[in-house]
Amino acid sequence: MSNQYITNKEQLLSNLVGYVESRELIAEREKIGSDFSEDKGKNTAEIAKLHPKRLNLEVTEIFQETPSTKTFRVRSARGALPPFQAGQYINLFVNIDGVETARPYAISSCPTHRDYYDLTVKIVKGGFVTNYLLNDVEVGQTFSATSPIGTFYYNPIIHGKKLVFLAGGSGGAPARAMIESVLSRGVDADFYLVYGNSFAEDVIFQDTFRALAQKHENFHVMEVISRPEEGYEGLTGYLTGELINEAVSGVDEVMFYVCGPTPFNDFCKSELKALSVADKRIRIECNGPPKNPSSIQNWPTEVSEEEMVTVKVRGKGEFKAQVGEPLLNSLERNGYFVENACRSGECSLCRVKLVEGEVFNPPEAKLRKSDETFGWVHSCVAFPTSDIEILY
Amino acid sequence: MSNLEKYDAVIIGAGNGGLTAAATLARGGAKTLLLERHNIPGGCATSFVRGDFEFEVALHQLSGLGTEKNPFIMRKIFNELGVMDKVEFVEEHHLYRMTIKDEFDITLPASWKGIREVLIENFPDEEQGIKDYMLLCERVVLESFMGFKAALKMNSEDMLMKNSKHYAEYGLRSAKSVLDKHFSDEQLKTLLAAYWCYLGQAPRNINFVDLAMMLYAYGVFKPWHIEGGSQALSNALLESFLEAGGEVQFNAAVDQIITDKSGDKPKVIAICTEHGDVYETEQVISNASSVVTFVDLLDTDELPEGISQDFKSREIGTSAFCLYIGLDCPPETLGIKNASTFMGTTMDEDLMVETMATLNPPVATMLTCYNVDDPSFAPPGKSQVSLLCLQYGKVWDDVPVEDYADTKYAFAEHLIEQAEEFFPGFRSHIEEIEVATPLTMQRYLNTPGGSIYGFIQNPEDGEIHRPRYDQVEGLHMAGCWQGMGGFQPTYMVGQSTAKAVLKKLKAQRLAEQDQTQTQDVKEPANV
Ligand SMILES: Cc1cc2nc3c(=O)[nH]c(=O)nc-3n(C[C@H](O)[C@H](O)[C@H](O)COP(=O)(O)OP(=O)(O)OC[C@H]3O[C@@H](n4cnc5c(N)ncnc54)[C@H](O)[C@@H]3O)c2cc1C
Ligand SMILES: Cc1cc2nc3c(=O)[nH]c(=O)nc-3n(C[C@H](O)[C@H](O)[C@H](O)COP(=O)(O)OP(=O)(O)OC[C@H]3O[C@@H](n4cnc5c(N)ncnc54)[C@H](O)[C@@H]3O)c2cc1C
Ligand code: FES
Repeated sequence: MSNQYITNKEQLLSNLVGYVESRELIAEREKIGSDFSEDKGKNTAEIAKLHPKRLNLEVTEIFQETPSTKTFRVRSARGALPPFQAGQYINLFVNIDGVETARPYAISSCPTHRDYYDLTVKIVKGGFVTNYLLNDVEVGQTFSATSPIGTFYYNPIIHGKKLVFLAGGSGGAPARAMIESVLSRGVDADFYLVYGNSFAEDVIFQDTFRALAQKHENFHVMEVISRPEEGYEGLTGYLTGELINEAVSGVDEVMFYVCGPTPFNDFCKSELKALSVADKRIRIECNGPPKNPSSIQNWPTEVSEEEMVTVKVRGKGEFKAQVGEPLLNSLERNGYFVENACRSGECSLCRVKLVEGEVFNPPEAKLRKSDETFGWVHSCVAFPTSDIEILY
Repeated sequence: MSNLEKYDAVIIGAGNGGLTAAATLARGGAKTLLLERHNIPGGCATSFVRGDFEFEVALHQLSGLGTEKNPFIMRKIFNELGVMDKVEFVEEHHLYRMTIKDEFDITLPASWKGIREVLIENFPDEEQGIKDYMLLCERVVLESFMGFKAALKMNSEDMLMKNSKHYAEYGLRSAKSVLDKHFSDEQLKTLLAAYWCYLGQAPRNINFVDLAMMLYAYGVFKPWHIEGGSQALSNALLESFLEAGGEVQFNAAVDQIITDKSGDKPKVIAICTEHGDVYETEQVISNASSVVTFVDLLDTDELPEGISQDFKSREIGTSAFCLYIGLDCPPETLGIKNASTFMGTTMDEDLMVETMATLNPPVATMLTCYNVDDPSFAPPGKSQVSLLCLQYGKVWDDVPVEDYADTKYAFAEHLIEQAEEFFPGFRSHIEEIEVATPLTMQRYLNTPGGSIYGFIQNPEDGEIHRPRYDQVEGLHMAGCWQGMGGFQPTYMVGQSTAKAVLKKLKAQRLAEQDQTQTQDVKEPANV
């Protein structure tokens, strides 16, 4: 391109009213403006202040909460950890006997502590990761984790002034964070915790909750034991509608938070529905893939969970997998890494495209409509019901 | 670092510009790799699921499509990209309702003639001005596409003054000055300038042609949205890309653009991802912000001269504060009768723009309810709304991270209060709500300040003043940072950039063939 042309073009354009003034303005701004080169790395740093992709954590203390539960206090060598909303979780990456996998754990400490997060983990019978955490992990161990995420938290805009947390077992973990956070910020709301456990000795944070109830007029705690020993004097049984109704009056203006094992969550939900509580007043934390997918509606009846199928990963390889195991887990066991966080179907980080074959997507899979149209699935809750080929 | 495969072209980012570029390249036969840092394609053009709702993130009104009878450029482009049969477009029947407290409340239909009628009905004293103004809009817009482009091509002053005299006279004047020239009624001026917020600058700081373009394009060719949201189109574009043999990786940010610095200009030779994977290529199209692309990704010690000069006269554009709301009722329960509503408490646009740089309660907000034209946007009996105001990312610089959540909820309350004023009962119907701040935009788009339209669009930032970057051989920009923000412009720039790259690749291939042919001829002679 010759200068001649540029000059001519400038001349031509100068016939447009306003053109010359704009050129002058540009020249002015060039004199005083910055070219952003001093901002190198700034964008990344700003994003990482709230949402770093990975945290590097070290276990600095371990507390035995109950015979079946430990709290791991983790810190970052880099100082303060990202802020979070009480109720959110991090996804903890682990390497167990060469298998790279991860599990989400709610942060049980209050967001006012930024120098550590507490992760309170209850053992799961036959659980791959919880058994490792509770039996093998010692102070000094390091982990990589996602930054805090999740949608299970107190939302001041619409959650109102009467909050009820129905917790089961490890559900006490997010409950502690949420309750401490609401109370310490002086939120104008009444908070009730109804905490169900199988055994009296399993009640996590019992002392903490009782002390808070002593101290704060607007906090009330109720412990319910389903398999009490003889002579147990407290409340017993399940968290039935009747019990909830007695504990809290005026359930139609309450926001309910439900967190516990899946059967606990399902039970609470049906009890609340029976009390005519509107869907929008029930917030249930996700809790991993369904344990018995073949019992769910629309499961292809001709396929059993024990069958083996071939999973082909385009351009990368193939392996055999069991129908009843979530695709993400079998990918990990065979050395394929797929990004993930909730492992419960809701965050979409583990999205892969199904190119061939069929998978079963349970209701846990919160798929976007157009993902469904074009065959994208959330691998953490997708069960391969035939030989499949995927792409990611 | 591991050295992997070689590609004809690598695209950084799967926003609108990246997706259309990728699909164009792959369909044109180029071996193409698309790398996106997020887990899903779309950039702004995306959605997320909460409870019963799949929330549309960005698309309020798609322009440039036209009807089947009266098609416009985007139909042709979507056809070329192979997505016309993969998505359903939904026509909206209103341009917008604008309601300013204690001033006026007027709804413009999506029809050129209808707009004129409504305006005259409401402002009978201004009838002549209205007719003149609309005619001028039409002329300036059409001339900017035809007469002016032709004159530029022929470098002819004659043609310019003959075939695009309205454009030459008014196109680059400020929108405010042209409105002032035609009207005395402030309400009418405010009503006609409503689309300024799609550009992010007050009417006195935008070119008349840009405002005229929106009124004309939406009025004549209708506003549209997409069934399943803009995510459906992003997914369709990706599908088209994959069908043509393209390769994609999500959760794979590009960390570095590697150049050969031995010649006059740096020359792209490879890129490196966050995972340390290196892909060789001589053509990179970046959909990431140009600041990120040149300052953070490009491996040269200093910014190339021309880039540095251009950046010095630029500023980071506006972001948005956005509430994504699921309502437990249909739109009519709250009296929502059209998809797009601009609401405000003042007619002072300068005040509106000043407020964007603060955490003060917004004086102008926008409410979009997709269900009015498309019931599939929410489960039966419910509806989806987005409620937003423009806001600069820098107002969040001083908010300590531990106050972030409280600050965002407090600001969200201001927007809800405003909605409550125009749609009484609004708050009590909220079933699901997600709050996105400029920092949210920054997180998901990787743009400085969470900018959603690229650089500030002052009159002197128009394309006419800003030649495309060619300071690094093989590095091309496609997105809102070169050119205008918005869906149509970014779709278009992605395609045109990719077409230019295809041409280069073809020329290169021919040259290589030539060489091997001459060699073929020579060799036997040597024997
Ligand atoms: C958002 C979120 C937050 C959480 N917060 C906490 C917390 O704060 N504290 C806490 O203790 N827990 C928490 N959990 C639960 C925690 O993640 C689980 O306890 C943990 O994932 C169990 O992991 P595991 O590897 O020990 O068990 P797994 O090996 O995953 O097994 C769990 C049970 O399911 C069965 N199972 C697992 N996978 C399959 C399969 N593919 N097919 C059939 N059966 C299978 C196992 O046999 C076992 O009985 C949270 C979960 C979520 C989703
Ligand atoms: C709330 C909101 C409302 C809007 N309303 C409208 C409207 O009604 N009408 C309209 O026309 N426009 C609207 N817009 C504007 C419009 O959506 C944008 O201007 C346009 O989509 C920008 O597209 P883009 O191609 O420039 O890139 P973006 O959408 O910004 O996408 C860039 C992509 O690049 C990726 N990326 C960045 N850095 C890297 C890296 N290093 N490696 C890999 N990937 C990277 C990002 O993750 C992202 O996916 C709105 C935007 C928002 C947010
Ligand atoms: S990891 Fe969140 S959806 Fe699978």
